[in-house]
Amino acid sequence: MKRNFAGCAICDSTWGNVWEEVEGERMFFCCRLCATQFRTLIERIERETGWTTVEAVEISGDRRGRECVARSGSGSIRVVFSFTPEGELLRFVSHAVA
Amino acid sequence: MTRCPACLGSFPEGDLSALAEHLVDRASESDSAHVRWLNQNVTRQKCEASELLPALEQLFAIGRGGLPGWIKGRFIAKFYGKAPHPFVVALQHPSRATLLGYVVEHQHFLRQWVRSCSFIMARTDERKVVLYELDNLNTEFGGLGPDRVAHYELLLRMGESLGVDRARVLSLEPLPATRRGIEGWNRIASEEPWVAALAAMHGLELIANRDLVNEGASMRYFDPEILEGSEITHEAKAFLREGYEADVAHSGEALDLVAEFARGRATIESVQSTFLRSIDLFDDYLMARLERGAQFEA
Ligand SMILES: [Zn+2]
Ligand SMILES: [Zn+2]
Repeated sequence: MKRNFAGCAICDSTWGNVWEEVEGERMFFCCRLCATQFRTLIERIERETGWTTVEAVEISGDRRGRECVARSGSGSIRVVFSFTPEGELLRFVSHAVA
Repeated sequence: MTRCPACLGSFPEGDLSALAEHLVDRASESDSAHVRWLNQNVTRQKCEASELLPALEQLFAIGRGGLPGWIKGRFIAKFYGKAPHPFVVALQHPSRATLLGYVVEHQHFLRQWVRSCSFIMARTDERKVVLYELDNLNTEFGGLGPDRVAHYELLLRMGESLGVDRARVLSLEPLPATRRGIEGWNRIASEEPWVAALAAMHGLELIANRDLVNEGASMRYFDPEILEGSEITHEAKAFLREGYEADVAHSGEALDLVAEFARGRATIESVQSTFLRSIDLFDDYLMARLERGAQFEA
């Protein structure tokens, strides 16, 4: 999966040392909470779009509210999302990208 | 004593390098609380303790505004910076759901507030501080007769005006983040030096302080226009107006008391880290208000 961050897949931090497999790929996360959030995000995007894989993500924003542009094949989707402090999705609003 | 703002662990007085090492150690174990604190307050870039030290020195440095100025500065940075807290953004022109999320979670917050302020009263010998807390508790919880109804009562009336009766509000358990906040504040108020508890609790009242915009805040707690017109219920206006008017005086006075009684480096260090811990708990607690609000969305 192509990502815009070199650090933690969701927050770009390089602290911590959590490695987890997401979609068959070993990815770096700064903490368990970020790993849980990323997994939840990807699963939700796939459920929303019917894609079998997410090929690329571009994430911006901060912990209290982020935006993600996700791509798969010729399709793309823009998602505004946030999580509760426990790592559950609080907000997930998706838009098709023109 | 130098204290860890993520876990309140203790280190020798003035020893920020011990704190830097502790933060780097805990972060290398991927501890969420410490990683989060570093990410949000210092840097997302992993570094050595020696490189972290200057940033910590800068963060804890008290400038010309003294301790009250430092507290306001940290508070503004966290809640009223470039990306203000989403609850504050939602409260500018609040929906019914946002206000109901406020009612349900804040009821629990205010019950803890009474406990925290009572601990402060029980643990101080300063008459001024006791009188301040008595006045505060009456405003927030006790009330001063039918013309000056307590903030707690105004909160429940706001809920009723939005169609949720108080029996229902009182029957709902707090969300996890609210519960964590309550436990954290209870611990701070009962175990930390009372002056640190004073800063940790009353510093939070800065959230409604409309004067913060003069000190760099990017917005107010809510758009004052909603107090006019019919955008929100009469009872919601009464609740918000009360906080708007009361908390300016409260938070300012409390910070003056903190400045007066936080004597000596060890105490000042405790005040600073305890306050940082408290605003992190508050940050999550405000998210819990939104989370609860989402349950009331049509
Ligand atoms: Zn992360
Ligand atoms: Zn710690």
